[in-house]
Amino acid sequence: MKNVRKRHRLWLSAGGLALGAVVAAVFAATAVGRPSATPLKIAIMSDCQGAFAANYEQDIGGAITAFAQYAGVKPKNPNKPSAGWTGGSIGGHPLKLVGIGCSNDRADTAIKETKRLMEQLGADIMVGPLSGDESVAIANYAKAHPSKTFVNGTAGAWDTTAVVKAPNFFRFNGDGIQWNAGIGDLAVRKLHWKKAAIIMDDYSFGYASGAGMVADFCAAGGTITKRVFPPLNTTDYSSFVRQLPPPSQVDGYFSAVGGSGTPPMLKAFEQAYGKLKASQWIGNLFFFSSGADKVIGPELDGAYVGGFGSSPDLKGKNVTKYKKILDKWYKKYPPLAGKASDHAADGFTYNYYNNAWALVKALKVVKGNISDGGKKLQAALGKTSLPDAAYGAIRLDKNRQAIQPQYSYRMDVKTPGALAIKTVQYIPPVDQTFGGAIHSPPGRTYPPCAHKKLPWTGKEKPVVNGVIK
Amino acid sequence: MTETAADEQAVAGVAPALRLRGVGRRFGGLHAVRSVDLEVAPGERRAILGPNGAGKTTLFNVIAGDLSASSGSVELFGQDVTHMPSRHRARLGLARTYQQSRLLLGLSVEDSIYLSILGVAGGHLRPVILKRRDRAIRQRAREAARRVAIEHKLAELVGSLSHGEHRQVAVAMALASEPKILMLDEPASGLSRGERLLVTELLLGLDRAITLILIEHDMDVALRVAERVTMMHDGNVIVEGTPDEIRANELVHELYLGRQHYADE
Amino acid sequence: MVLVVALLGPFLFSDFFTHTLLTQVFWYGIAAASLIFLFGYGGMVSLAQVSLYGIAGFVVGNAVTTGAAKGQHFGLDPWLGVVLAIVITTLIGLVLGALASRSFGIYFLMLTLTFAVLTNYFFGQVTVFGGFSGVSGIQLHTPGVIGNPNIHPNRLYYVALGTSVAVYLLIRYVVRTPFGVALQGIRDDPVRMSSLGYNVTLHRTLAFAFGAFISSLAGILFVWWNDHVDPASMDLSAVIDLLVIAVIGGLSRLEGAWLGAFVFVILNNYLRSVPGLGHVGISPERFHTAIGIVFLVIVLVSPSGLMGIWERLRNRVAGAGGSIGSAPPGEGPREPDSQPAAG
Ligand SMILES: Nc1ncnc2c1ncn2[C@@H]1O[C@H](COP(=O)(O)OP(=O)(O)OP(=O)(O)O)[C@@H](O)[C@H]1O
Ligand SMILES: [Mg+2]
Repeated sequence: MKNVRKRHRLWLSAGGLALGAVVAAVFAATAVGRPSATPLKIAIMSDCQGAFAANYEQDIGGAITAFAQYAGVKPKNPNKPSAGWTGGSIGGHPLKLVGIGCSNDRADTAIKETKRLMEQLGADIMVGPLSGDESVAIANYAKAHPSKTFVNGTAGAWDTTAVVKAPNFFRFNGDGIQWNAGIGDLAVRKLHWKKAAIIMDDYSFGYASGAGMVADFCAAGGTITKRVFPPLNTTDYSSFVRQLPPPSQVDGYFSAVGGSGTPPMLKAFEQAYGKLKASQWIGNLFFFSSGADKVIGPELDGAYVGGFGSSPDLKGKNVTKYKKILDKWYKKYPPLAGKASDHAADGFTYNYYNNAWALVKALKVVKGNISDGGKKLQAALGKTSLPDAAYGAIRLDKNRQAIQPQYSYRMDVKTPGALAIKTVQYIPPVDQTFGGAIHSPPGRTYPPCAHKKLPWTGKEKPVVNGVIK
Repeated sequence: MTETAADEQAVAGVAPALRLRGVGRRFGGLHAVRSVDLEVAPGERRAILGPNGAGKTTLFNVIAGDLSASSGSVELFGQDVTHMPSRHRARLGLARTYQQSRLLLGLSVEDSIYLSILGVAGGHLRPVILKRRDRAIRQRAREAARRVAIEHKLAELVGSLSHGEHRQVAVAMALASEPKILMLDEPASGLSRGERLLVTELLLGLDRAITLILIEHDMDVALRVAERVTMMHDGNVIVEGTPDEIRANELVHELYLGRQHYADE
Repeated sequence: MVLVVALLGPFLFSDFFTHTLLTQVFWYGIAAASLIFLFGYGGMVSLAQVSLYGIAGFVVGNAVTTGAAKGQHFGLDPWLGVVLAIVITTLIGLVLGALASRSFGIYFLMLTLTFAVLTNYFFGQVTVFGGFSGVSGIQLHTPGVIGNPNIHPNRLYYVALGTSVAVYLLIRYVVRTPFGVALQGIRDDPVRMSSLGYNVTLHRTLAFAFGAFISSLAGILFVWWNDHVDPASMDLSAVIDLLVIAVIGGLSRLEGAWLGAFVFVILNNYLRSVPGLGHVGISPERFHTAIGIVFLVIVLVSPSGLMGIWERLRNRVAGAGGSIGSAPPGEGPREPDSQPAAG
């Protein structure tokens, strides 16, 4: 008796579930709409949550600006890039922005968002993502979906292109290793460091960024005596700082600690070993990005800093043109202050812009035709280069990874403009493997300290007042 | 059943079913039970009386192992169980009911009684249904329900039953496990006169092999069922004797019997 | 009928709906079922279920991947990966269960929450297992019958569906066995069960391990579906997501696990595409708020979730009363009788 009632109830509940499923399915069908052969469905992927949420509009702005400038789309709202675009076409194929991904710098979320964009909203092409771990996961996704095409946003993990090697994932920006080319050489030549220690975040971007420093420093003749790796998002660095040798035992320290970690790490160091000296510290891009320059700039004024593939104070006609284009399409990238071109050299703008620009170029080559599952487009992308990129020509290597010139900076609190840094050095085009020196994923102990010259050793050029000498 | 129980008692020999020596229990500074010595012979019917707060329930909890003793020792059938967890005492044949009949409100009457039998029978962790064995236990559960006249509610959730029915389920659970010592904490409280009569009948009809210890405020029930009575006050045993002796005792009257009309209300 | 619809899923719905959403519903449902099992039948509010499926995911990831993948990339046979994931996760469940099973109510919840936070940090910071970046590329190493879910998505879909049905039936069965009935007794009153002869601690420990076992199945399906696992797969917001799923569905009914997962996944995906939501302040980055609101409404209208609403509607129509199985579980153990008689 009881069992009969139970079963009855079960079936009724099952019915309810099924009804829900049908309703939702109808909903799904209408939301997706019929795919049509003509429009080019494009998605942009960025982070609207997490550590880089403030760069969300900036990323989208950089990407859409390229579509506006080169493919005739119109931003819907010059004050809010995420409002999307209207119009635009390539080879008669209308350009449709089907969605903007909202991730949170975590691979797990990035995958879910990518699935939504590519599968639910039916995008053929994606521009993004923003951060390293996301890009590794998305490159893996790309590999499994050969008919979809991906160009990076500004993610800088080494593995994305060097390990995963998805044939349909293209990156027209440098990675964490490349960005630090030349910085170790400065330490040896200008600061006369012989022995140094490094502290770096214990995850892929920290390793990559640190690897660039270690490889460059050792190539110039320096020796790394200690590597310390605090976990990402550490708040109390005192125990890690104490693992560093004291200033009496080394000439200086490299830092590849994440944005929010840099100030507390330096503070902990000061408490352990006394006042910070600019001649004893070299940082990566996290010394100036995300507002860190305002916090540590006064204490470390004059310290050398690794780059971001761009140069905020560089002069030249490509730079001028690029800044004009930025200001033409957007007034600002909320919540960031200042006008669009104030953020021109910020990798978030620059890399999204270049990646989208390269994509448009390749789409024009194939006249917007991706009916072959993107095969021709992908072939065209592999051959695309950006000789007029604002901060130096960009071309791809065989893993579809950018080769581009790099810059080194010094902290300079008196510099006008958005960032308290000044460019001091130009490094001729740098590839992801440092000329073959780096052939495995960077890690806690990789690469080893090898005193072997790098392709650009001795070919760096000084930059004075924004001019390459 | 009767025979086996009797056999086992014979084996246990002269040892009393329950022996307490200087048992005390404190809650912080409060001496709920001070120092109680008590012996109950196998098959005996014992009532424990005493005013509110005398420490009767606390004593039950210490005997059953729900609370540990602060001092003294507890023996069941000659075995020291002072430090034995309650579940092992249950396996020695000790069953009890609770004053606020703690029942398994989310289970059916049948499942509750089933669990009571299973608790002593073992196989608690068996994650498969063995048709023969489980059917046999459920059969016993239904019989126990019949003995307390609750068999018509077997499939009902215990939580949906009335207070009186809760008492019936509690007694059925205690009986179903075929205990050697049965401890009932105010089985008749809150029942109607008719229901109390039924409880009295039930207790009088209990298998003689079962040792019965009963806390009961209702003198009609207590003194009719018990062969001996222990009177507690303020954590101590103050008098022990036959029902007649107790009735005649002045101290008892002073402390306790004054409230009898209340219980009769 | 829901089973029939589900079986026909790939033929009725779009690929995205079937393979991305419904498959996700299935593994989420299994994870939620482990939570509902522990709560509904064991009276334990466990916030550890997400961590447990995350552990299973990490075990699979480390065991089966090869080459330059992050973590250990042992390159083991995919089936061995499955077995390892189940065994390791269940053992961890056993140990955690042994530690937590003496606690009840909010204390139990806090212990499992601590475990959730610890495992999240552990996998974020112990880089030998993949670290913060997690492990990717798992879909290339699924068992042969499943194949690469990108190429044969229907296979994973049916495996997930089949596992869901099996888990559902298994739990329904287990709760009718001596072990399961006793577990419900312990849920209602552990002290009473102890005086009936039960080893409450051992019983709860084993129940918790069983929940971990169910969770491990969800974790295995999860990484096959997701291709990737990282500490964010098991962070606090994931813990809350699963709790929301279970509560939306209804904690007192096992079916609620999958119903809640269905509603959650659908809302999560489609709420953002509903035109006009942006104008009322629910922009993409706030879709979690929207789910939070739905959650609140459901809980306020019916504390027993959507299954509760459904039951009430059905009862009104059919005029039938009574509830099957479990009543609302008690709030932990009661102390032995302590009050003087009411008079
Ligand atoms: N768990 C406990 N914590 C603190 N005090 C307690 C506890 N249990 C009982 N007490 C106290 O111990 C004393 C004895 O209580 P107990 O319940 O044993 O009395 P009783 O004789 O059963 O009374 P009644 O006839 O009212 O049931 C009372 O003062 C009671 O408040
Ligand atoms: Mg009492």
